Amino acid sequence: MKKRLYIELENCIGCRSCLAACTQCGGHEERNRNYVYDVNPLVSRQTMPLMCLHCVNPACARSCPAQAIQIHETGAVLSALVEKCIGCQNCTIACPYGIPKFDEEQNLMYKCDLCIDRTKDGIPPMCASVCPSNTLQWLTEEEIEQKQKQYNMSNGKWVTSQPYLEGETNVKVNLPGILQGITKLY
Amino acid sequence: MQRDKFFKEIENVYHPNEKLIKTHCSYCGMQCGMNLRVNTSTNKIIGVEPRYDWPVTVGKMCPKGVTAYQQTNHDDRLLKPLIRDDASLKGTTKGFREASWDEAYDLIAKKFTELQENYGKDSLSVFSGVSMTNEKCYLTGKFARVALGTKYIDYNGRFCMSSAAGGFLRSLGVDRGSTLPWTDIHETDCLFIAGSNTAECHPTSIFRLWNVQERGGYIIVVDPRETPIARRADVHLDIRPGTDLALANGILHLLIENGFTDEQFVNNHTNGFEETRELVKEFTPEYTSEITGVDPEKIIRAAEIYGKAPNAVVMFARGIEQQHKGVDNVSAYTNMALVTGKIGRPKSGVATFTGQGNGQGGREHGQKSDLLPGYRKITNPEHVREVCQFWGISEDEMPKAGVSAYELFELMAKKEIRGLYLLCSNPAVSAPNLNFVRETLKNLDFMVCADFYLSESAEFADVILPSVTWSEDEGTTTNLEGRIIKINKAQEPVGESKPDWQMQVELAERLGRGKYFSHLKTARDVADEFRAASKGGYADYYGATWEKIEKQDGVFWPCKDENDEGTPHMFLDKKFYHPDGKAKICALPYRKSAEEPDETYPLRMTNGRVVYHYLSGNQTRRIPFLRDMCPEPFIEVHPQTAEKYKISHEEEVRLYTRRGEAFYKVKITEAIRPDTVFVPYHFGHEKSINLLTIAALDPMSRMPEFKVCAAQIEKLDREKV
Ligand code: SF4
Ligand code: SF4
Ligand code: SF4
Repeated sequence: MKKRLYIELENCIGCRSCLAACTQCGGHEERNRNYVYDVNPLVSRQTMPLMCLHCVNPACARSCPAQAIQIHETGAVLSALVEKCIGCQNCTIACPYGIPKFDEEQNLMYKCDLCIDRTKDGIPPMCASVCPSNTLQWLTEEEIEQKQKQYNMSNGKWVTSQPYLEGETNVKVNLPGILQGITKLY
Repeated sequence: MQRDKFFKEIENVYHPNEKLIKTHCSYCGMQCGMNLRVNTSTNKIIGVEPRYDWPVTVGKMCPKGVTAYQQTNHDDRLLKPLIRDDASLKGTTKGFREASWDEAYDLIAKKFTELQENYGKDSLSVFSGVSMTNEKCYLTGKFARVALGTKYIDYNGRFCMSSAAGGFLRSLGVDRGSTLPWTDIHETDCLFIAGSNTAECHPTSIFRLWNVQERGGYIIVVDPRETPIARRADVHLDIRPGTDLALANGILHLLIENGFTDEQFVNNHTNGFEETRELVKEFTPEYTSEITGVDPEKIIRAAEIYGKAPNAVVMFARGIEQQHKGVDNVSAYTNMALVTGKIGRPKSGVATFTGQGNGQGGREHGQKSDLLPGYRKITNPEHVREVCQFWGISEDEMPKAGVSAYELFELMAKKEIRGLYLLCSNPAVSAPNLNFVRETLKNLDFMVCADFYLSESAEFADVILPSVTWSEDEGTTTNLEGRIIKINKAQEPVGESKPDWQMQVELAERLGRGKYFSHLKTARDVADEFRAASKGGYADYYGATWEKIEKQDGVFWPCKDENDEGTPHMFLDKKFYHPDGKAKICALPYRKSAEEPDETYPLRMTNGRVVYHYLSGNQTRRIPFLRDMCPEPFIEVHPQTAEKYKISHEEEVRLYTRRGEAFYKVKITEAIRPDTVFVPYHFGHEKSINLLTIAALDPMSRMPEFKVCAAQIEKLDREKV
């Protein structure tokens, strides 16, 4: 059963466990590939993870002159191939979210590979495994559909990747505000 | 056992040449399940893999848990005993030399014996902690009473869970931190959470909290800061630190006035209602608001939401407990559940967020100055008889009740206590009023410290004994639910380090008390003796064997025998643990904080944790990821207050109280009350906020008032700096 990374931004508590966990996936050389940012620290404690959305038509891969960025059959947009990457950093500039990171020493791009070591076998990625707030979840298509129904907003739109974010993505994002539509129990 | 909707069957990833050891996190009371990755050729711990099959946390961990494995083979580990011959170097890291275990033990035995011959048995003290297994906690109590024969033993839970314990004992007759399992939390309709920064201190509870709201339920948060849970709460009661008792009375008053009393429950299962009803009458929303600084409308709304909830859980933590009326605060918030009858059934009850990994189990089995195994009282002759028989000592050999953790330092200052055996704790950072505490440690005649790193407290020791991390020994802990769980050994101790229980057995032998200890050769031996010692006490662990823990995903105490599956929900039969079976609704007059703000010290100072660090930071400050995320403390200030003091974001200021001062960088945020400042407490030396805190003790629990005192900020003269 196909599963996807699903992000519910409202839930984030800023613990950065996702960053710590990212270092623990095999092949990650103990370096994290994700970001969490403070939305407006002078005002509130709101935080949000900034993750690779694994675009269906990824700008990073399109911009790469060396074809170093491969797309896995699961849809995961992989980290640059060591033997192909020329260190030009086009990808970082091309990515609308600035996801690809750069290793100056190795002159090599590295990015979220959706923990391909795990997700190729249907095992959740490290970040979604540990995320204590269920901001990051690993869900089946059906579960995501269920979420879409649950968070049907008053404007008739499911607050997700489209039309708010660029292009179609494999990762589904639920923007803050989901609690507004909930009917209270009593 | 309870496998809820969050539980999914997920396979683990096995990397080549690795095995996974199932265990739990070393840090907080959540005791999240985790697998340690062990390299099968080096037999060393090299990483972590989620433990999806642990029903409480289903693979989730906070960043402390994810990086906890890095403690074991850390460069800072103490590998051999250390002795310092030059006492003038106390309070520094200097002057230590490596020694053999024999030399260290001989020196300790000689010094301890000399002190006791010259100044009496009680000239020695033991200060311990609860970030270790039940087995170690149990044996530490026995070590103090039987091997050293001193009455002076107490532990860091006094600074952590003692007020919750005191409040629950008074209200419910029993001190089990949660009356219900955590797998109920997300199914309730209303969570009333006071003084808990859950998102940072118990992060893996959060998915259950959020689910209450996803289902249409409510979260009410009482906190002087807009913490991540307060930000999302349905009602945030932004309370003035130190005024919880008034708020709880005010809410109780509204619950009673507005017809939310469960009369049948109150009549049949409680005492004290009428008297309490009279007392709280005074606490109208307006009067409560005057004291607490919370808008009366919010108080009314919170009472209404809690009152109407079909099921609700009242939860709290150190914010309300670390006050000199901490016990009263606990009983006052517990009153809400008793008056409305929302306790003693699934999805309703009261719970405290236990701070330390084994804060629950570690306080039950005799490390506290007045307790013996199984939560027996040292002041109860019947209990003393039972334990003496079990240990094989005569009743007059059993020391009397001692004093609380902070009072130990007062006796050290008076030279009534001259020697200290410190383990599993770092009071040179975590005790209040540190200028005084550090001075007393310096002036001790002889001090031993067992730790796996050279902590700030170890800097005061004459002898340091290298202990093991949680991953190099096995045993049980009791998590914040009251669930007894198993910590497994993943690698052999590094260097010459040893588990604390082994040191205590070997030291007892040196002190001529071997016959009470020498039979304990493995952690399992200690476990078996410990279970038997708890038998018949109300915290009865006898039936909680390691096999049963494995089979049932943990065992909730009480668990009296082989056939007893344990007790996930307390009071389902509506029988409380007082002799008449009734709970006590407590009439509690409001008291001010020990030190209220005045003209010279106009601010309320409070403190707490950040998500990246644990307790005194002795462990987490050494882990690169956690250190990088929060390398130093800061002072949180509201923009209005910052303007008043003409201080800006990131500027260093002097913060001072009647007891001490420290220099911190300012962090401006609207997410705090203007009359309150906050500093995280995990830092040592001149950065410790406890240099400033007050040691006003709760009359019942002897908990110091860490969470509130009066302070002042001074803007530094830039020219001079
Ligand atoms: S682990 Fe989850 S809650 Fe924590 S920072 Fe990352 S996304 Fe946010
Ligand atoms: S999916 Fe894996 S690689 Fe990507 S951010 Fe999460 S942990 Fe890192
Ligand atoms: S510190 Fe607490 S919440 Fe974090 S992983 Fe450890 S037990 Fe879980």
